[in-house]
Amino acid sequence: METILTIFIIFIAGTAATYFLGKLNGVLRSILFLATLAATGWLFFTGITPESGIEFRILGITMGWGITPFSYIFAIIVMGLALLSGIYAVKAMEDEKNLNFFFANFLLTVMSMMGILFSLDLISFFIFWEIMTWSSYFMVVFTGKDVQKVGIKYILFSAIGAYAMLMAIVFIYSFTGSVLIGDFIDNFHLFDTQMQWLIPILLLTGFGVKSALMPLHVWAPGAYSNSPMSYTAMFSGALSKMGIYGMVIVLILIVQQIPNGYWIKEVIAWMGGITAAMATLWAIKQDDAKKMLAYSSIGQLGYIIVGVAIGTPLAMLAGLFMAVMHGIFKSTLFMVVGAVERQTGTSNFTEVTGLIRKMPWTFLAALMSIIALAGIPPLGGFIGKWMLYESLMGSNHYLLIIMIFFSSTAAFLYCFKFLFGFFLGQEEKEWSHVKEAPAMMVIPMLILAGFAFLLGIFPGLILKPINEGMQFLGYVSTTNRFWEMSIIFNDWGNAVVMMPIFYWIIGVFVFFLVFLTIKGYKTTRYVSTKDISTSGEIPKEHENLTFTMGFMQPFLRAVAPVMKRQIDKYYTSIGNGLEALFDFTRRINTGNGQTYALYFVVFIIILLLFKDSLF
Amino acid sequence: MVGTPVFLIAIPLLAAFLIPLIGMIWKESVRIIPGLVLAYMTVLSASLYLFILENGTYVETIAGWQAPWGIDLVFSPLTGLLATIMTFMGFIVWLYSYRFKSNVEFEAAKKYFIFLMLLVAGSVGIVITGDIFNQFVFIEIVGISAYALTAFYTGRNSAEAAFKYLIMGSLSASALLIAIIIVYAQLGTLNMAEIAANIDQMNVHYRIIAMIFFIIGIGVEAEIFPLNGWAPDAYTEAPGPVGGAFSGIVVKAGIYAMVRMMFTLFDISGPMKILIVIGLVTLIVAETSALRQEKLKRMLAYSSIGQMGLVLVAFGMGTKAGVFAALFLMLNHAIIKPLLFLSGSFLTFNTTEKYISQITGMAKKMPVVSVLFALGALAISGLPPFSGFWSKLSVLTAAADENLMLIIALVLIISVIEIVYYFRVINRLFFFEYDESVSVKPHKPGFNGMIALFILAGLILLIGFYPASVTGYLDLAADDLLNTHQYIDKVLQLGQSIIQ
Repeated sequence: METILTIFIIFIAGTAATYFLGKLNGVLRSILFLATLAATGWLFFTGITPESGIEFRILGITMGWGITPFSYIFAIIVMGLALLSGIYAVKAMEDEKNLNFFFANFLLTVMSMMGILFSLDLISFFIFWEIMTWSSYFMVVFTGKDVQKVGIKYILFSAIGAYAMLMAIVFIYSFTGSVLIGDFIDNFHLFDTQMQWLIPILLLTGFGVKSALMPLHVWAPGAYSNSPMSYTAMFSGALSKMGIYGMVIVLILIVQQIPNGYWIKEVIAWMGGITAAMATLWAIKQDDAKKMLAYSSIGQLGYIIVGVAIGTPLAMLAGLFMAVMHGIFKSTLFMVVGAVERQTGTSNFTEVTGLIRKMPWTFLAALMSIIALAGIPPLGGFIGKWMLYESLMGSNHYLLIIMIFFSSTAAFLYCFKFLFGFFLGQEEKEWSHVKEAPAMMVIPMLILAGFAFLLGIFPGLILKPINEGMQFLGYVSTTNRFWEMSIIFNDWGNAVVMMPIFYWIIGVFVFFLVFLTIKGYKTTRYVSTKDISTSGEIPKEHENLTFTMGFMQPFLRAVAPVMKRQIDKYYTSIGNGLEALFDFTRRINTGNGQTYALYFVVFIIILLLFKDSLF
Repeated sequence: MVGTPVFLIAIPLLAAFLIPLIGMIWKESVRIIPGLVLAYMTVLSASLYLFILENGTYVETIAGWQAPWGIDLVFSPLTGLLATIMTFMGFIVWLYSYRFKSNVEFEAAKKYFIFLMLLVAGSVGIVITGDIFNQFVFIEIVGISAYALTAFYTGRNSAEAAFKYLIMGSLSASALLIAIIIVYAQLGTLNMAEIAANIDQMNVHYRIIAMIFFIIGIGVEAEIFPLNGWAPDAYTEAPGPVGGAFSGIVVKAGIYAMVRMMFTLFDISGPMKILIVIGLVTLIVAETSALRQEKLKRMLAYSSIGQMGLVLVAFGMGTKAGVFAALFLMLNHAIIKPLLFLSGSFLTFNTTEKYISQITGMAKKMPVVSVLFALGALAISGLPPFSGFWSKLSVLTAAADENLMLIIALVLIISVIEIVYYFRVINRLFFFEYDESVSVKPHKPGFNGMIALFILAGLILLIGFYPASVTGYLDLAADDLLNTHQYIDKVLQLGQSIIQ
């Protein structure tokens, strides 16, 4: 029982200490920050068991904190990513200003996410949810770029989502008289039909905003790319998963109880599919690595949503596995971008090229996570996608498969662009001074990349807790039906064994290495780096020969009709319309005393006219 | 006890009379004496409040005239709570403005502090009196001191704002007088308890007409739409702390008068459509207007009006939960809005125009004040874990109990707007670069002002993290308001014999 409280107390004390003592000394600040994360992480991984839990009352409402096997999965993601990106942040943020604010806020976000996962009742869930919203908001605007545009968009959508959720919560409270999530699930069948539809939709709106489900995603590209990369690693990796966490609970435990409720699931699954496809197209179009990764995050969250919304055991397994994997590889990629940006000063593909020799370890981390992202064996992304396809086939969602398949193939384009843009291609003088990022930044990336690799070969490591969590949600155990430590099956029992795949790939690598060495040894031919792309013409100095300039134009032309209509623009025009309307209401108070006197008279007349209906 | 309720009114009135005289001998006294008086009032009402919590409602008859004929002061769990909040906020405002314009000459300071004291005394009077005509007098006292404080900076704009306030105030006063005349002509009494006891004998048409005129008469102080046109101007043009006093003290008194009239005088039970409608319209118009404001204080003024609309909506539900939520909102608003006004006026200290754009990047120069402002902004927009969240939550649950789905949706949509405009200011404050050409020169906040701000911020955090610290009192107050019969019995029966 006490462990949960201790964790919160350490977080709060650590936040305060980081903020106030951090003003004195930078080293002290970093130590306090990391010590808080380490202490809470240690307490969490050693002291927390599913039996832990406490109950208390506020305003006569019973509330509770505890952990379930299901929230444990997400807590692993949060604590793991927080520790690693925390270490990364200490070095990466070194030269920035206002660091005590940054680190204190970082801790607050981590605390609020843990709080969400620990909450057994809706009120504390909502409180932590809002703390998460505003603390992450302060990170989005931390850099001071585009504050009013990006920041307000983020807080606006978060507020809409959160208040949709709050509306559902007050309905639940007034119907059942309890805010405990368990009571709500047990009593849900007693609600009338209208409420049974309204409440899940409101809750899903709230979770959809955080998990960047189209059409509620418009805040995400700006917010992800605007916050410091060391934070985005956690923002995209862990914070967006809170939306998934809530969504799974709603879809599995609540929507299941509605007659005809599968429609909600189908709609959400399709929205997830559309999100995946559209976000991938947008990701391809970006020239800035941060924006690209932001869109890619939205797309990946789309896959996860498809998995959890389909909700068959295999699909759920796939969705949750991909959630973990996405947390791992996407934070690595954001860290890579952060490292590149720190070393070169820009994160634009069209400017930076050929860093592979300068930043080999960063490249290694990027390569591993890109392979995981693209879903190529033997890294973890493959397992998730394989299970997702199988589950979609098993549940007869053929159109959705096409959609997912299309976006997952199209994702190769931006994956390639990312690797090539930064690391391959011609080396330019401009970047000859670039050095490898400091060890404190590289090591977290490599650890994460290592995890992506490990989970690819032994997916059972993470499938085991996921299985326990799913059993908590009411699924039968999926062990030996869908997976063993290094083997996954499908609905029909066909198996993919990961270890041999791994050996095969190593074999192929070794073969090519030998082959190339021998071949290269025999006939060495020296060419300039520029002679292929220019067909013999000599390019002028100022010509930008970066490979990624105007990359994939034909493809983008082909898909242009789909991308023409941007939901963002509709929102902007709605927003402008509303502002104009509010400008009108502002003018009701004219500032003229005579008008006010007139209002006074009119008000009396109105009250007298409507006295029968008003009193 | 350090005194009886009548001291809450008599002492400040006496002090207001004596200060100019003592000021001739000892100049500093015009600053110190009001502070002492306000501190005494705070201690007095707090101790009286604790006393009545144990011993039940305390009714004081003035000059031995018994209740139906004479004036009586009712110190009940509700009025005591409000009086304590008001006197405390009055003291905070004094503390903040103790060195206010210390460079200004003696005359200005004298007027400022005397009127501030009268403002508090009048507001407390509105709350604790048990007689409608007496209430009218107190409303006038508040009105006059408020006009004077609005016109404090003797410029064109402040004179205009005060004049508008004056027009609305006098119109409303005549409406209130008409209402009182109707009631008196029908029932032959001015005592609230007796009116409430005999309200059934009143002709139903007269009753409604009287109610309409009461609403209009009190509505100007309670800042309901469309009678609140004066408010944004007055808040903007008055000195910063006065804005805090208006939003923390005066409006509360206005709301109390309106609610007492509806709940007790006319003894309406169940949902009151009129309050809900007026409240919602006020809420929507004010909050949407706030979004497009360019001046900081104006924005805060509209936000204050909007919150009062929400309070009326909550009262209008007429249930225990609704009244509780409304009182909770009033308490939170009385703490948070002065914090915003006071810290906001530190931020815009060296400007006359008070444009929001002028505080760009001020957090670099005035970090502590900016953080306190941000705390207030987060709290008022109802973000957990600060105090505003709990009151918003109780409003919503109260509405959900009554199945008022539309109201819940509207309140939440409005909250989104609120978040947007407060965050725009926070952004400007913290995440923009300080720019010499746009932003004002920072003003070094005074020590006493900072103490006042820290007290308010501490209360916000206390209520936010431990709402149970106040909910018990609010619960008693809500019971007190809803129990009209108990009120009548207490006032009329205690009036038969003189109780010490």
